[in-house]
Amino acid sequence: MALLKPSDQAALREELNKMTNPVRLVFFTQMLGCETCPITKQILEEVVALSDKLELVTYNHAIDREAVERYGIARIPAIAVVRLEVQASDDGQQFTEHDYGIRFYGVPSGYEFMSLIGDILDVSHGESGLSAESKALLAQVSQPLHFQVFTTPT
Amino acid sequence: MAIENALVRADMIEATEYPELSDRYAVYGVPLTVVNDKVRLEGGAPEAYFVPRIMHELGITLEAEPAEE
Repeated sequence: MALLKPSDQAALREELNKMTNPVRLVFFTQMLGCETCPITKQILEEVVALSDKLELVTYNHAIDREAVERYGIARIPAIAVVRLEVQASDDGQQFTEHDYGIRFYGVPSGYEFMSLIGDILDVSHGESGLSAESKALLAQVSQPLHFQVFTTPT
Repeated sequence: MAIENALVRADMIEATEYPELSDRYAVYGVPLTVVNDKVRLEGGAPEAYFVPRIMHELGITLEAEPAEE
């Protein structure tokens, strides 16, 4: 049974049509002890089916420790939103990851779902859409900043 | 913001799924933004307020007008 209604799928497909670069959703799950992992997986599968510029890669949080380390995953379910960029190589084209450090923890439902879609588009474009003033301020950042934004499903 | 500067990373966290984390950061209202465990901003805010406010609390300001190219 689909979580996304056909009308929602159509609207999302149109929205995702604005993507330029492909985006990889890197999903961290676990077989046991993660109540919300299955629903998160289903949401992500339905979303990536709406665009050929979206792909889903799944890792097991308990087993794939190298990936957990590489993406700096703190808990599950987790989603890293990663840009794919084309790089010319000897055997043609190759995609390399551009990881901006954007993570979603928990089920992306309600308002968070639209945040995820918005972030997919921003990451795809490699453009934040922020004002010139915000960009100028952010250019001054010279130490690592870790933002944690807490929300609840609405 | 994470797109703008490689030093910035951003976690969106569903508070009710991680009660321990929510307790640790004393999440009573949402959205709550925590930066480097020290700066807190409760409630939603438009970008024109949010970004300068967070940056100000982190001690990050525009030192001078950008030079003309």
